[in-house]
Amino acid sequence: MLKINNLHASIDDKSILKGLNIEVKAGEIHAIMGPNGAGKSTLANIIAGKEEYEVTDGIIELDGEDISELAPEERAHNGVFLSFQYPVEIPGVSVTNFIKTAINETRKAKGLEDMPAKDMLKMIREKSELLEIDRKFLSRSLNEGFSGGEKKRNEIFQMAMLEPKLAILDETDSGLDIDALRIVANGVNKLKSKDNAVIVITHYQRLLDYIVPDFVHVLHDGKIVKTGDASLALELEAKGYDWIKKELV
Amino acid sequence: MTKVKMELKEKIVASYVAFENDVDINSEIHDIRTEAFQNFEKLGFPTKKLEAWKYTSLNSVLKNDFSIFPNKENAIEFADVKKYFIHDIDTYKVVFIDGKYSSFLSDTTHDGKDVCLMSSALSKPKYKSVIKKYFNKIAKQDNLTSLNTAFTNEGAYIYIPKNVEVEKPIQIINFTTGNDVATMIQPRNLVVVEENAHVQIIERHQSLTDNAVLTNSVTEIFSAKNATVDYYKIQNDKDNASLVDNTFIEQKTNSVVSVHTFSFGGNITRNNLNFYQRGEHIDSILKGITIIEGKQHVDHHTLVHHIEPNCESHQDYKGIFDARSTGVFNGKVIVEKEAQKTNAYQQNNNVLVSDKATINAKPQLEIFADDVKCSHGCTIGQLDEDALFYMQQRGIPKKEGKALLMYAFANTVLESVKIPEVKQRINKLIATKLGVHIGFDL
Amino acid sequence: MSKYTEEDLEQELKTKEYEYGFYTDIESETFAKGLNEDVVRAISKKKNEPQWMTDWRIEAFRVWEKMEEPDWANVKYPKPDFQGIAYYSAPKQKPKLNSLDEVDPDLLETFKKLGISLEEQKRLANVAVDIVIDSVSVATTFKKTLGEKGIIFMPISEAIQEHPELVRKHLGTVVPTSDNFYAALNSAVFSDGSFCYIPKGVKCPMELSTYFRINEGGTGQFERTLVVADKGSYVSYLEGCTAPSRDENQLHAAVVELIALDDAEIKYSTVQNWYPGDADGKGGVFNFVTKRGICETNAKISWTQVETGSAVTWKYPSCILKGNNSVGEFYSIAVTNHHQQADTGTKMIHLGKNTKSTIISKGISAGKSQNSYRGLVHVGARAENARNFSQCDSLLMGNACGAHTFPYIEAKNKSAQIEHEATTSKIGEDQLFYCNQRGIDTEKAIALIVNGFSKEVLNKLPMEFAVEAQKLLEISLEGSVG
Repeated sequence: MLKINNLHASIDDKSILKGLNIEVKAGEIHAIMGPNGAGKSTLANIIAGKEEYEVTDGIIELDGEDISELAPEERAHNGVFLSFQYPVEIPGVSVTNFIKTAINETRKAKGLEDMPAKDMLKMIREKSELLEIDRKFLSRSLNEGFSGGEKKRNEIFQMAMLEPKLAILDETDSGLDIDALRIVANGVNKLKSKDNAVIVITHYQRLLDYIVPDFVHVLHDGKIVKTGDASLALELEAKGYDWIKKELV
Repeated sequence: MTKVKMELKEKIVASYVAFENDVDINSEIHDIRTEAFQNFEKLGFPTKKLEAWKYTSLNSVLKNDFSIFPNKENAIEFADVKKYFIHDIDTYKVVFIDGKYSSFLSDTTHDGKDVCLMSSALSKPKYKSVIKKYFNKIAKQDNLTSLNTAFTNEGAYIYIPKNVEVEKPIQIINFTTGNDVATMIQPRNLVVVEENAHVQIIERHQSLTDNAVLTNSVTEIFSAKNATVDYYKIQNDKDNASLVDNTFIEQKTNSVVSVHTFSFGGNITRNNLNFYQRGEHIDSILKGITIIEGKQHVDHHTLVHHIEPNCESHQDYKGIFDARSTGVFNGKVIVEKEAQKTNAYQQNNNVLVSDKATINAKPQLEIFADDVKCSHGCTIGQLDEDALFYMQQRGIPKKEGKALLMYAFANTVLESVKIPEVKQRINKLIATKLGVHIGFDL
Repeated sequence: MSKYTEEDLEQELKTKEYEYGFYTDIESETFAKGLNEDVVRAISKKKNEPQWMTDWRIEAFRVWEKMEEPDWANVKYPKPDFQGIAYYSAPKQKPKLNSLDEVDPDLLETFKKLGISLEEQKRLANVAVDIVIDSVSVATTFKKTLGEKGIIFMPISEAIQEHPELVRKHLGTVVPTSDNFYAALNSAVFSDGSFCYIPKGVKCPMELSTYFRINEGGTGQFERTLVVADKGSYVSYLEGCTAPSRDENQLHAAVVELIALDDAEIKYSTVQNWYPGDADGKGGVFNFVTKRGICETNAKISWTQVETGSAVTWKYPSCILKGNNSVGEFYSIAVTNHHQQADTGTKMIHLGKNTKSTIISKGISAGKSQNSYRGLVHVGARAENARNFSQCDSLLMGNACGAHTFPYIEAKNKSAQIEHEATTSKIGEDQLFYCNQRGIDTEKAIALIVNGFSKEVLNKLPMEFAVEAQKLLEISLEGSVG
């Protein structure tokens, strides 16, 4: 589904990704781990198409098509979803209004009519129950005054509503207490199918207790330096990132 | 009324010739004085018709028959005026009596820096280059500043060279003795702080008489790259002393300038405080506490001009107004198109203690850049009755409770005062003003 | 990578045409240009007015002659040539209309283009409309339904004939003829407008609405609105404005007076979309309007405005809170683009005890425009326990515009509680990226964010207007016809 080959990227002339390769197939869950500053969030933002980063070399393919020239919203229309590490606040725009706009814009791009209000409401009801979201929460301004846990839960709620092909969860576990972590992970697992894929970006292993990856990649200095199965995450947790760094020397 | 005002203006105009006879007309600044004089002659005194003077009228003050020049040199004993100094620490002092320098009360220096007199700076060749570069370069050409410039003769001259950290604060004090029926003085200060230098200045205007006094002061401050200037203005004058204090500050890259204005007394006090930011990463701090009563009138008129990007300004003014007093706050922040990433904060909070007191506030923002964070807040309210009751319940009498609340209200402004003795002095003044004696902790 | 940048948006805005800028070819009767006492008399005569009305106008004219045009507002424009304007222009047809069928078909077409189908309004049966074109009221709907409740809603010219005692009692009591330059001018030459009277204890069953349109070239529009809500009554009043695109500047100097007697409530909403001039700042309406209401005991006046049009706006809908426990509210969205200039805000004058006021102002500036909030909160010495809360937020789009706030706060009573807050912000890159990531393009994202920014005010509009207002916001800022 996603194929990244020899990706080089920089921001303000500072090189961050230095020849990164990864392939994600439908039905798979990949975890990308690595120390702070390794380029994990950069990778997530580049896949989503953030402007500030300059891709200097390499290709990003989604279902065999190069997406690197597409605008962020076009990538979203093609099924790329990024759960932000720090979701922004948009005062005065309710969660419901926002998600309604997002869904209908995506449908419009696909040549579909707006989703009938009745279906929209039904879907909102189902998905909010899945993530144990209070209905009142949906009428609040997007992310404004939300706690860390509420923001992350709201991200996964939007993911549930948009039903993406490829979901990238950027440090979704940060700022979550154990109950919220369980709810979020449970939501992700329920949304998982043989047709979609998930990339979990995380610094710690604990989220991977709940969302079990098929592959674990270690990102260091702009490259994937090690790939393994779920046990690699446990090994990293036990030995720390210095172990990888030493091994590389 | 208008007729009376014309009289003072005419008297001043007539006196200018006499003044010129007294000073060196071949001086570098002769042209500057003359031009300023013509400007004042054209503009006259400000009236309420001017937007900038909408809430402050000088009419009642201008009625007085001011003497333009003090007739004789007046001497005063240090013991009589010691209380007006910050005397518990060592400081440099530049002291004037009725506009004339008092060498007896002063303590100046030329040791690696200049803390001395404007009159000598204006006349001696060794200061020529500094005067040429800085004098009257940022002072506005408005009515009263022009008047001061026209009559520029005496004041403090402070020059701090590169990398010099002045080891002790400098006090600038203007005393008026009131030997004349009504005295008008025009102090003119110039403060130049070069790169990476640091200075702390305390300024005070003090009348020693019940006769009318009008001080029209102008101070220009230049803060070069990485320089730090802390300026404290203590205004606790007699009921018949009025002050128009015009301060102009130009800052260069990475400099930090703070001005604290403590207004506790006087008749009509008008503070025109203007900051011009010419460089990046500048911080300008404007703070004030006003606690007045009787028929006193304090007007803070501030301007922060954000000209270049990545700068900050912080304004915090607190006011407590009793009896028939009037408070005015007119704070203007301009953010130019080029001044992206500006952070400008302005806060003005007021408490009216009496039914007859008045507050007029006009916090203005003029913004031409889009990527900025600017906010202003202004409140007018009373002391928290619940808090007062809570304290009474715990045995604190209402009067002390009120003082405590007012103290707490004004406290944010004191936090940034860097000279402990000044902080202590202001604390005492607040306690006196509020009419209670409780041990305020520092 | 394709990206919809602010520059693209700006480009699009430049090419965006004023949607309502058509001109209707209706035969009209227009006075020769110029103003003197004879013209004032002629207007009065034309309208067959009683002597007291003629005298009132003449008095106003004499005051006006001695006044100077104000220049304190933060706007710059060529001063109108008051002798170069025609002071009366009316569609030439029967002076009185009994039903919609008699309305000029071209005119009906005009309304359709304006988006107000009278037929539709009639079916909806919840809005009564009075339409003023070039100073003359041409159609009032629902007169009968309202009449059953004793509500008077008619052109003010008719009210002067039919209810002279009511008009005479209230006209000029809130905005005196000598109030200001434009109010004096209006008093002298106003040709029509709406009059509304709600009797004691009556809740007006439908929204009352006036649509204003300047059609004829070289004319000024000077309409006069007077709303009187008698004790314990309630009315919600809507006002909409459009004008054709013309190269010249057109002058609109209206006066609106609201009188809310004891326990009455008036809600007055405006969607102002006068022609703003073209992308280069040529043409457009000068909108110099005086709006003021007076509240007696327990009364409430609420002004809501969405200002997207006009080249220059000078407008301060105000409340005089005279009675104890009276309430004043001001909710405003002002959008300026291209070379538009708006200096708008409110005055809340607290005179009675326990009076309350709320001011929420949202300014959005784009292009090369200048957007100023100017407001006064005054608490008089006898206004015990007065409360005010003001919030002024500005949103800047692009780096060629300006946002300014000039709040004046005057408190003479120690029990006053006044809070004023102001912020300035821009649309964040991260906000746009977040929206893009969820599949929302930049243009739509800006609309969404601006709508969110304006929400508190949009929520105050009656439903029919809120939709229109949202549409207008999108049109004025985004180039996408909603």
